[in-house]
Parts: sequence; structure tokens; C-alpha cells
Amino acid sequence: MEQTVPPYPLSRTKVFHRSCLAMNTRFSMVLVGIEPERAEALALDAECDLRAYERMMSRFDVESPVSDLNRRAAETAIQPPEGLWEVLSMCRDYWKRTQGAFDITLWPLNHLWREHSGRGEQPTAEAIEQARLQTGFERLHFDELAHTVRFESKGMSIDLGGFGKGFAIERLAGSLRAQGVEQAFLSFGESSITVLGSHPHGPAWPVGIANMFQPADTVHTFHLQNASLSSSGTAPFNRMQGPQVFGQIIDPHSGRPLEGYRTISVVSPSGIEAEVLSTSLLVTPERERAALLSGFSTVSAIEIVYHENAGKFVPRIEWEYGI
Amino acid sequence: MESDSLFVSSSGDSDRAHRREFLKRLAVLAGSSALLAELPWWTPLRAAPVGDSPADRVRIGLVGVGTRGNLLIAHLLRTPGVEIAALCDDYEPHLQIGLARVKGAKGFADYRKMLDMPGLDGVVIATPLYLHARMCLDAFSAGKHVYCEKSLAYTIEECQAVADAYRGSKQVFQIGHQRLFSPLILRALELVRNGEIGQITQIRAYWHRHGDWRNPVPDPSLERRLNWRLYRAYSCGLMTELASHHIQVANWFLGAHPVACAGYGSINYWKDGRELYDNVNVVYRYADGTQVIYDSLISNRLYGEEIQIMGPKGTIEAVTGKIYAENPPPAPGIVQLINGIEHGFFNTVPIGGPSWVPDLKKDTEGTLLMKEKLADDGTAIALAAFANAIRLREPIPGMMEQACRAGVSVLMGQASMEQQKEIAWPEGFRV
Repeated sequence: MEQTVPPYPLSRTKVFHRSCLAMNTRFSMVLVGIEPERAEALALDAECDLRAYERMMSRFDVESPVSDLNRRAAETAIQPPEGLWEVLSMCRDYWKRTQGAFDITLWPLNHLWREHSGRGEQPTAEAIEQARLQTGFERLHFDELAHTVRFESKGMSIDLGGFGKGFAIERLAGSLRAQGVEQAFLSFGESSITVLGSHPHGPAWPVGIANMFQPADTVHTFHLQNASLSSSGTAPFNRMQGPQVFGQIIDPHSGRPLEGYRTISVVSPSGIEAEVLSTSLLVTPERERAALLSGFSTVSAIEIVYHENAGKFVPRIEWEYGI
Repeated sequence: MESDSLFVSSSGDSDRAHRREFLKRLAVLAGSSALLAELPWWTPLRAAPVGDSPADRVRIGLVGVGTRGNLLIAHLLRTPGVEIAALCDDYEPHLQIGLARVKGAKGFADYRKMLDMPGLDGVVIATPLYLHARMCLDAFSAGKHVYCEKSLAYTIEECQAVADAYRGSKQVFQIGHQRLFSPLILRALELVRNGEIGQITQIRAYWHRHGDWRNPVPDPSLERRLNWRLYRAYSCGLMTELASHHIQVANWFLGAHPVACAGYGSINYWKDGRELYDNVNVVYRYADGTQVIYDSLISNRLYGEEIQIMGPKGTIEAVTGKIYAENPPPAPGIVQLINGIEHGFFNTVPIGGPSWVPDLKKDTEGTLLMKEKLADDGTAIALAAFANAIRLREPIPGMMEQACRAGVSVLMGQASMEQQKEIAWPEGFRV
């Protein structure tokens, strides 16, 4: 780990930190050089905004508009609140731009595999086919005039988990910037990171991608400046459900979860695009990735694959783009 | 929250051999914990547990063989080095039940006769509240060591009289606030003192049960004797018989007695001729601005019993045995990042990766204070401490103060409800 001592005299830089639980993970906010009272107020605002985004997009909150859609949209066209309509329209746009790799309708498949992995077995081919009939963004019908959404088949269900984090972190960063904050580090469960400005003691925020199996080790360092970093991958552990059996990222083309342990990390000026691309690239074959990325603003990305060697998992960077 | 704390790994026990083993471990730990400076009443437990030889034996007489008395007998029978030499109750059927359980014990109907019995080291008082002070005073006069069930006494004047009589005494006095010896509560105190919840800003405690709180009475003439908890001439009901436990813990954690209290109580459900409230609600005010909010009722049991100790950084539920953080701790990478910025380092922090998922149990449903739930609420350890203190011939420090603070506090609460006005801590009260 590189460590340079700054050329100026050491004086303690004012740092404010706040972490809270939101969107089924932990949100952390680090502000630099801001008076404590003002930082406290900014953190309160941020927490408030986060709760509002969560109330809009959570599929676990029975009263959220997303839950309402999931309950009723197969029976009748539903007009979601304008904020959610906007989010769903963005998701449709990204679904098209990623040739279907980014898809918020995969929950039935995800659920099927999770349930079975909990019991240590694989779902039957029939069950997978059945679930596939309940997934696919093309089955989500939008009425542009009425601003309504309708599910084509019963059992469909949307999940804004990952997208919600990217959306929230981009909005929060924008709001902080608008309030004159110049240096900040925002993290959503460490998988979605957005920085404002640069590290107070250097030209950028150096962010290491941790080795999943040796979290204190860095596999690759990104130097971020006014940018977002998103990582997606098949995690070795899911503490809520015990050892992972079948991974948790579903390939929309096959209806099956990804195998092995690998992650893709994407840096983009946009928090939302970093989020969308990290999941999309993971399910896109390597040869098609450059084409996919050509439609997006400047990004850089890496793929880390963990190979088993003598009982240990060793990370290797197997693909990179724009580095 | 993990630590090698004294209070994390101790476990309950069922027979005397087990209890001796348990006390042996406790003795080692009791000598090494920094927290014990604040718990002087744990001092007797540092003594190694004894064997069964007659020289090691302390001879106890127990007065009041009711529900609580019988539970204390069960514990005393398992406490190493204790002989229950005498039992006393003026209600013959209860005395007979006790004598059947304790072989060789001498039976008495009059506690003064029991106090005259030669060779008796100490007495355990488990009688109705109105008898506590009188019996404590007589036992002190007779030169006996005393373990008195809570609450200390029936009136504030009696609390003062017991404290006055005891002042400077070389005898052992112990009050039956067993939470003073509860490993779970001590673990909670340890976390509070370690700053895990920040400054205590409020304590909320409640005890809810559903039942008429009556004992079966074989003959109507025995109603007041057997159901003394319902009648004002003998008890202060929910305040002295239940609330005193929680108020004792609150006073202890706050290191103070309340300066005043105000409350309301009534009989709104069990209108069966009883005189004492079936629901009570009291707010205690402390000199530093902290409030303790207490309520108890016997017509609904949904919320059960809890002591919630709250601060800006977290909440401890001392009955359930859980701690809840107000904010989750940041990821190790974030801690490194903050450290680096503060100390002028520009270094890469390994932080990015697939999303962190909360350990729901820990992060949103609280963390257990102890890995295993103990069967004992502190009573077993409390009685072992009493026996050890007698054997060592050393008074247990801090006991009378804990007894008086709690005893007076609950009587203030009762007075406030009865008089419908704020009641101040009695000026000039001295332990």
C-alpha cells in the first residue's frame, strides 16, 4: 500500500463522519473541512432524503409504491408517483442501452434460486422456465400518455435494489455539491462509492478494490475525482443466508445465476451509470463489452476473477477497459 | 462488543457441586475485573468457595416461608457451606411445607424465639413488607447477620431507622435486590461505563403482568394474611413488590437517588375489594436532569418486563439482554480513510467490493449482551455472597445505601400517587 507523507506541516484535518442503515445496507458519509454543526445538518438532510428514496423504491416496505406495483400491476395499469415513473423510465432506457443486460424484473428468478440455494438444491428446469415467463423488461408495459405501468403476467415483480443505491447516491452528491460541499466521500455498503473533489492530501481519492477473501488487501486502486465507483459480483459470503451456494447475480439470458467468484468495478462520472454498468457487464460476454460501453460516457472498468489454487482463492484482473 | 468480560461466560447451575465450580470461576474473575471497584458488594465473592466441613458452615434461619421464602430455600440448599438451621412462619401450613423440605431444621412460629436460638449466624427475612424493619432491627439487636428481602421497609421513617441502627455495625447486611448480582445487569453496566450508549439520557422501565395477583385462600379469615400484597396495611403493592427492582437498577446506573417524583395510580380493572393499585405510573427526576419513567400493571402482559437504558449512542434492554446502536459502525475501510485524512496521509484504502449486507440480527435487532441466557437472575450469587461475607465476618459494602435509595424511592412513588402531588426526596435522609 503506497503511503506518501504530505509536503505541508501535519495538522489534524477536520473530518465529519456519519453512518446509518438504509436500503438494506450501510450508508457512510465523510465530509472534509466543514464546521461540525453544518456537517451535522447536512448529514440530517442526507438521511432524510435517503429515507424518502427508500420509501419510494423499497420492495420490502409494504406501503411503498413499488410494493403497490408488485401487488396490483398484473391486474390493472397502475399510475406510480411521478418520482417512481421517472425512475422506471430511466430503467427502461438503460435496459435498451445495455441490450437487456440491465433488467429490474429478474426478482422471480432471483427468488427461485435463493429459495433453492437455502435448501442446498437446484430448481427444476420447469420451475426455471416458469419463472422466466414472469421476468423480462419487455413484459413491463408503459403508457406514455397516462404515465401508467402494467405487468404482462402474474407473478412479475420489480426490484430496484441496486439501481436505487446508484440513484440515491447520485442525487445526494448533487445536493451536497449544490450546497457548496467540495470534498466528500459517500459510500453505500462499499459497493457504490461517490466522491466530490479530491482527497485533502492528494490529487484524487485513492480507492482500493478489496480482495473478497483478504479484505485488507487491495487488488486494484482507482483514483477518483468527482466520480463514482460501483462494484458488483458474486460474493463468497452472504451473512444473512450462510454460505452462498448458487451466487446471487442472475444472467437474464440464461435465467441462471453466475458461477464462480468474480467482480466488476466501474468508474463513471455518474453514480447511476456506474451502478447500471457494473451489473450489466457482469452478465455480458467479454467480446460484447466494448460495444456496450461505447454508448456511455467515459468509463473505466476492471473484472477480477478469483481462481481456486491449493484451497485458496487468488484474484486476477482478467479484463480491463479505459484504464 | 465481544470481550473477555467477567459477565459474558458465567453460567447457571443446578446442584451444589456445579455451584461450587461456578463460584470458583467467579472468585477468580471477581478478583480481576476493573469494574468491580464500582461493585464493592462483590468483594465477598473473591473468597474461594468452601467445602462441606462443619467449620466452614454458616447457620441460617429463614423467616417467612411463602413463595419467595421457598425459592430462597431452594437456593440456600445448593449454596456451598450453608446450613438452614431454622425456619419460621406464623402460618402453620407454610412452616410445615418448609420443614418437610429442609431436614433437621428447627421450626418456629415466633421469629423472636428463632433469634434466641443458639448457634444461629444469620437470618433471611422473606416476610410481608410491613414486618421488614421490625425484624431487621430485632435481628441486629440479637447480633445476627441479615439478608432482608426487598423492599427495605414499609415507611421512609422505618428505612431511616434501619439505616441508623446499622450504621457502624460489624454485622453483614444484605438486601434482596438480586440484580446487584445479576451477570446480565453487570454486563449492561459494564457497557454503559465503557461509553457504548453515551451519557444516560433516560431510563424507561416497565413490568406488565396479567393476573389478579392473588394467592388461593383456604378460609376467608386468612385473606389479608395470605394476600397481604393487595392491602395497604401490609404493603405498597406494585411499587414495593415489583417496581423496587427496576428503580434500584435505575438508581444504581445513575449513581444517585431521585430528587423528586410524580405519578398516578388507580384500581381500574381488578375491583375485587383490594386496596392497592392495579396500575401505577411514576416519573422520577434526578439532579442531573435525567428522568426515569416507570409503569406497571396487572391487566395486560403483552410488553412484559423491561429496563431500557437510553443514550445518544445506543439503547440497552437489560431484561432481554440486548444492546442497540443508534448508528451502525462504519466499515473498517471508512475508519482507515478517516484516520488517514486526520493524520495527513494520502493512502489507498481497500474498501470497494460487492455490497455489504447488514447482519440483520446484530445491526437492526440488537446484539445480545451475553451469549447464553442465564437461569439465575442473581439470587444464587447474592446468597453465596451473603454466606461468604458471614464466614469472612466482613460487612458487605454499599448494601444499605442501595437498599435505602430503592426503598425510599418506591415509597415516594406510592406517596405521590396517593397524595396526587410531587414528592421530594426526604431532606436529611442519611444512610
